[in-house]
Amino acid sequence: MRMTESAYPQPTLTSTNAPLIEGWRRGELMLQHCTQCRAVIFFPRHMCPQCWSIEIEWKRSSGRGKIVSYSHVYSQVAAPFAAEAPTLLAEIALDDGGAMLARVISSDPAAIKSGMRVELLPMPEAARYPLPTFRPAE
Amino acid sequence: MLSNDIGIIGYGSAPYDKKPRRTIFGYLGEAASNALKSAGIRKDELNGLSVDATNLGSDTAVTTAEYFGLSVSWAYKSTAAGAGPLMSVANAVRAVEAGLADYVLCFGGGAQDVAIFKQRIAQFTSAVTDYLLPHGHGGPPGLHGIIQRKHMELYGTTREQLGRIAVDERANARLNDAALLRGPMTLDDYLNAKLVADPLRLYDCVMPCSGAEALIIGPLDRVPRGKGVRLLSALERHNHPVGELAPVRGGWEVFRDALFNEAGYAHADMNFMNCYDDFPIMAAIQIEDLGFCKKGEVGRFLDANRLTHDGSFPFNTGGGQLSTGQAGGSAGLLGLVEATRQLRGEGGARQVANAQRGIISGFGMISYGHGLAAAAIIVEQA
Repeated sequence: MRMTESAYPQPTLTSTNAPLIEGWRRGELMLQHCTQCRAVIFFPRHMCPQCWSIEIEWKRSSGRGKIVSYSHVYSQVAAPFAAEAPTLLAEIALDDGGAMLARVISSDPAAIKSGMRVELLPMPEAARYPLPTFRPAE
Repeated sequence: MLSNDIGIIGYGSAPYDKKPRRTIFGYLGEAASNALKSAGIRKDELNGLSVDATNLGSDTAVTTAEYFGLSVSWAYKSTAAGAGPLMSVANAVRAVEAGLADYVLCFGGGAQDVAIFKQRIAQFTSAVTDYLLPHGHGGPPGLHGIIQRKHMELYGTTREQLGRIAVDERANARLNDAALLRGPMTLDDYLNAKLVADPLRLYDCVMPCSGAEALIIGPLDRVPRGKGVRLLSALERHNHPVGELAPVRGGWEVFRDALFNEAGYAHADMNFMNCYDDFPIMAAIQIEDLGFCKKGEVGRFLDANRLTHDGSFPFNTGGGQLSTGQAGGSAGLLGLVEATRQLRGEGGARQVANAQRGIISGFGMISYGHGLAAAAIIVEQA
C-alpha cells in the first residue's frame, strides 16, 4: 500500500518538525511545549511564538480532544483527495493543551458535530495519512 | 488625516477575463493607461510605483518599472495580500507628502483562472503547504467553512442572513458591465447552490479570474473639484488575534475606533462600505469588527438592511469580488477603485446618491487556519 500512502501531498521534513512527522509514523502525536511559558505550540517552530524561548521540549500527546468547528470539503485543491471527497477538516482542541486543524476520518460524516470527542486514528490505518489524523472517539 | 493636499486623482481598470488572455503585465498596463487618462496626467510625470500582483513570480516593483519604462524614486510591493493594496495607496500618499515622489501609480492584478489558482493555493505559505495541504484542506473555502460554522453556532447567524450579501452584491453587479457574474441571483439560488466546503456553497466562494485595477496618487489640485479623493485615515493590523486558528474576528477590531476618530466622522456619516468579500462570512465579520453593529449581531444587521447601491447600507456597490471575480492582486484595490468612481460621481446606473465619503476594508494572507491581514481606509470626496 505504499503507493496510496505516497499519493497524498507530504509535509516538508525539517529539523524543526521531524519529531512530529516521525512520531506520526509510529502512530503518535508529538507536540512542542515551551519550558519557559508552558505554551503548547502548533505548527512546529524553532522558538516559542509566545515568549520567544528556544527551550522547547517535545511531549507525546494523548491525542484526545474535541471538535471546535469543522467543514466537509467537497472542492479539493490536491488531486488525491478528490476521489475521497468530501473530506472532513476540523479545528480540534486537544485535552492536554493546544489546538490544530486536522482531518477526521468517519464512516458516518453526517453524525459529526461541534463538541464531539475525537481520538487519534490508530495504526495500521494511521500509516496512510501524512499528518496526525483523528476519528470520533469510541 | 494622511494629507490635505495629496490623494487619489485617477483610476482605471482592465476588463476581467475568466481565463487569462495575456500576461499579468498586459492587464496591469491597460489598467494603468486608463488611470492616466482618468487623472489627466502624462506617463512621464509618474515617478513612483506600487504593485500588488499575483503571478509576478520573481518580478518586483523595480522590474515592473523596467517593463513599463518608468524612472521612479519610490517603489513598493506589499506583503499583506488582499489587505496590501489599501496600505500601498496610503503609503503612496505619505510618500508624496514626504517629497519622495510626485505622482505614484498604484496597481494590482492577476492573470489566473481556477486551475492556476489551485496550484497557487498549494504553495500559498509554508504552513499551508506543510500542515494543511496534506489533510486535503480544500484551500480557502475549507478554512472559511470552519470559520462560518463557528460564527453560526456561536451567534446564531444563518445562511439566509449571509445570503443577503451575495444576493444584493449580485444586484449591484447587474448594473456593472465590468462584472463577470451578472446573471440574476435569488436567495434560493444562493441557499441551494452546489456544496463547496459545507456550510459554504458555490455563491459563498469568490471566483478566481484575470484583470487589473489602478489608481494614480498625486496633488489633489491637479484635478477639478469633485474629482479627487482624500484619505482621511488608513490603518492596518496583521496576525490578530495571535495564536487563534480560526477566529471569528480580525485586526479591524483593534484599530476601528482610531480609524473613525482620525477621520473625524461617525459610522452614520459613511455613504457606503466596500469590503474584501472573498466569502460573505468575511464581509460580515468586517461589518462587525468595523463597528457597524455589535459583535455577533451581523445577522440581524443583514436582516434589517438592503446592501444594494440604493439600499439602506450601500455595500460593494460594483458587485464586490463575489460578482466581479477575484483577479488576484486587483481584489485588494477593487473596493477603493469603486469608491473613487462613486465619489467622483461616475458610478453610472449604480451611483450612490450624494456619495461624499465611504469606508473600504481589506483582508487576506490566508495561512494556517485563516486570513492574517486586515486593513481599512476612510475616504472623502475632495
